[in-house]
Amino acid sequence: MPVETVFETTIKRVSILDEHGRFDEELGADLIPDADLIKLYSHLVTCRHFDEIAFKLQRSGRMGTYPENRGQEATSLGAAYALRKTDWLVPCYRENAGLFWHGLPMEYVLLHWMGDERGNEIPDGVNVTPLAIPIGTQMLHAAGLAWSHKYRGDDTIACTFFGDGATSEGDFHEAMNFSANLELPVLFFCQNNSWAISVPTRIQCSAPTIAQRGVGYGMECIQVDGNDLFAVVKVVRDAAERARTTNKPTFIEAITYRLGDHTTADDARRYRDQEEVEMWELRDPLIRLRNHLDAKGLWDETRQAALLEQAEAHVVDVVKNAEEIEPLPATDMFAHMYKDMPAGLEEQARAMRTCSLGRLPGETIDQAAT
Amino acid sequence: MVIKQPNDKSHFILPDLGEGVHEAEIVRWCVAPGDPVKEHQTLAEMETDKALVEVPSPWSGVIKELHGKEGDIVNVGNTLVSYATQVEPDSPPPRTPEHVEPDESDDAGTVVGTVDSNLTVPASFSRQAPATPQDDVEKARATPAVRRIARDLEIDINAVSGTGRGGRVTASDVHERSIVAGTPLPTQADEVNAPTPLATPVSLPLEGVAQRIPFKGIRRKIAQSLLHSVQTAVHFTVVDEADVTELEKRRSGLEAFLGRRLSLLPFIMSAVCKGLQKHPMLNANVDDFIEEIQVMKHVNLGCAVDTDHGLMVPVINNADSLTIVQLADQIAQLASGCRDRTIERELLAGGTFTISNVGSAGGAFATPIINYPEVGILATGRTRERVLTKDGTFYAGSVLPLSLSCDHRVVDGAEGARFLQTVKDLLQNPTELLPEA
Repeated sequence: MPVETVFETTIKRVSILDEHGRFDEELGADLIPDADLIKLYSHLVTCRHFDEIAFKLQRSGRMGTYPENRGQEATSLGAAYALRKTDWLVPCYRENAGLFWHGLPMEYVLLHWMGDERGNEIPDGVNVTPLAIPIGTQMLHAAGLAWSHKYRGDDTIACTFFGDGATSEGDFHEAMNFSANLELPVLFFCQNNSWAISVPTRIQCSAPTIAQRGVGYGMECIQVDGNDLFAVVKVVRDAAERARTTNKPTFIEAITYRLGDHTTADDARRYRDQEEVEMWELRDPLIRLRNHLDAKGLWDETRQAALLEQAEAHVVDVVKNAEEIEPLPATDMFAHMYKDMPAGLEEQARAMRTCSLGRLPGETIDQAAT
Repeated sequence: MVIKQPNDKSHFILPDLGEGVHEAEIVRWCVAPGDPVKEHQTLAEMETDKALVEVPSPWSGVIKELHGKEGDIVNVGNTLVSYATQVEPDSPPPRTPEHVEPDESDDAGTVVGTVDSNLTVPASFSRQAPATPQDDVEKARATPAVRRIARDLEIDINAVSGTGRGGRVTASDVHERSIVAGTPLPTQADEVNAPTPLATPVSLPLEGVAQRIPFKGIRRKIAQSLLHSVQTAVHFTVVDEADVTELEKRRSGLEAFLGRRLSLLPFIMSAVCKGLQKHPMLNANVDDFIEEIQVMKHVNLGCAVDTDHGLMVPVINNADSLTIVQLADQIAQLASGCRDRTIERELLAGGTFTISNVGSAGGAFATPIINYPEVGILATGRTRERVLTKDGTFYAGSVLPLSLSCDHRVVDGAEGARFLQTVKDLLQNPTELLPEA
């Protein structure tokens, strides 16, 4: 036979709780206990409130910049819930809900966007890496982390998050190929939110799905409704199990939508239709989960009001903690890059203290130089 | 950029609403004077060059005044609204009494304790900044250039009230303060010191360019160090002529005696070394980082060499301990090292004074640029025959044009002139330079 098919593939998509409230009992039964479901919903609501307040902090000049998470919370939260606390979350910058669930205190994210390096000094025992602002750099870190755990022979895995735009970066392809060839226990979790800042997915990827990009690397690939907490938990749990038992990486494409602007320096109204946004507002993961809880008789307005009150009080405390932390001297910026400061940096730190920028008022040159 | 709001919450300064936003237009006010507002309540809708945004109040209070009307442009750093005196301090909403540990068994119906069970702040978070002794001093905001002006005028910048954006101290604030304090305004020479942008866009003709040469390599290196020098050192130049008739005679004699060629340059170098020993302030480096003048023990004499790939300045270390012949040998060796680019990098740095023999190419006087961080440079022109006078009679003699530039921050005009006079005297009466032949 002169022409034969040597390879064929299909991309599957998982959905359990759809936007119309239909619940797939076969896939969804026993996936999340009711008690956890309430915790997860409460967490989503708290994170949504945090998001609103963080946005306003920037607008009133109390924070440098901020990327809204609104609309995408279920993706990272579902993943964090399905993973163990010892697993690594390797985020970009729109995964607050998952990071907070994994144990990162909210203050750290505020400090990060306020320009305080202490926000990146992740507490011991919280297996989260600092937010990665340059697009795509973190996926290779995740591959490295996964490799180290494979080397040690434990069953810890890494899960890295990135957007649809990041799959056009070289680092993404290096990390994917490396992980597939070396059989590393890592999950590549793409939050396809339709927009890479102002560039829609369709003009940065000619393939019908982002998920199939993983096929080229011989990786397991799956698409999931990212606004469906149940479906996300299901695919991540399966992928994590595969990674733990066989060291096989998985590429997950979660279809979600960024309801807010890219960051506080962006105005999405300039490049996307309001109709599109309104359509996605109906698919909001919070609304979907709330309706599901209502239907199961697990929730009511009284509980909602109490939750909102508690979320508000909590975020007030978080903001207070972050804003009242004692500021560090400017030279602290030199302290975090290396374990032991190299001579070159030490010289810069000294120069900064002694030049016109760094000398303290009333301090003589001799004092400043010591 | 985070803008510091006033501690007393008396007014709200418009922050950078995006990244690098400098101004915003008031599209619509959402509050009026007298209105009580809550923290995060929208004050106004404003339009920046990036987005139409809602600007919330950073705290609760009562609006006293709106600074601008709809359609006005407000600069970032200027007041947007002011608040009436804070009657009640901002108190956080009542907290849930204690964080109740979630009861895994039967909390399906409760909310309390489920939200933030994993959001506790670890103790490490409250790590304190090391206390600084001046913590209570309100530090002024100002650009480095303005700080420098204040320092030069010996004014404590933290005592100057700023009128610039966001309360920044401006150059004119400092000058005003200096007039009050009786300090004179900076001279023209000081103005040279103010940093200028490295490149201002200029309109250049699109046609008629014979060759376009990328500004790179040694040429770029030369450009950068010269630019840095003129922007930092305050240059002044003093010129004179030395009658080297006698020196030329001695030089010819010495050449005949030694049986080798000797240029005038090693004699000039020797005279400069002796002059620097007498006027040590010209044999120095300036460390602008730690603000220190470093007067050097020995003379490390730089000597500008013109090469095919550009100007290079090799250094003869301890030139003051060398004889004329040794100087001649050294400069010949360094110059050839520069021309075939085999010279070691260490020999291109560490000078304490520089001589530039522009006369080898032609010309008489120059305004040489200091080889920063040195403080002095001597340019020598071409020796030429002139009719000179002495004791009322004419005679034909050789004169050597001398041009000395100094960093006025370190060396005053009179000191520069005295140094030049010393060098001139040595060249005119060369006994000290030469052993009696």
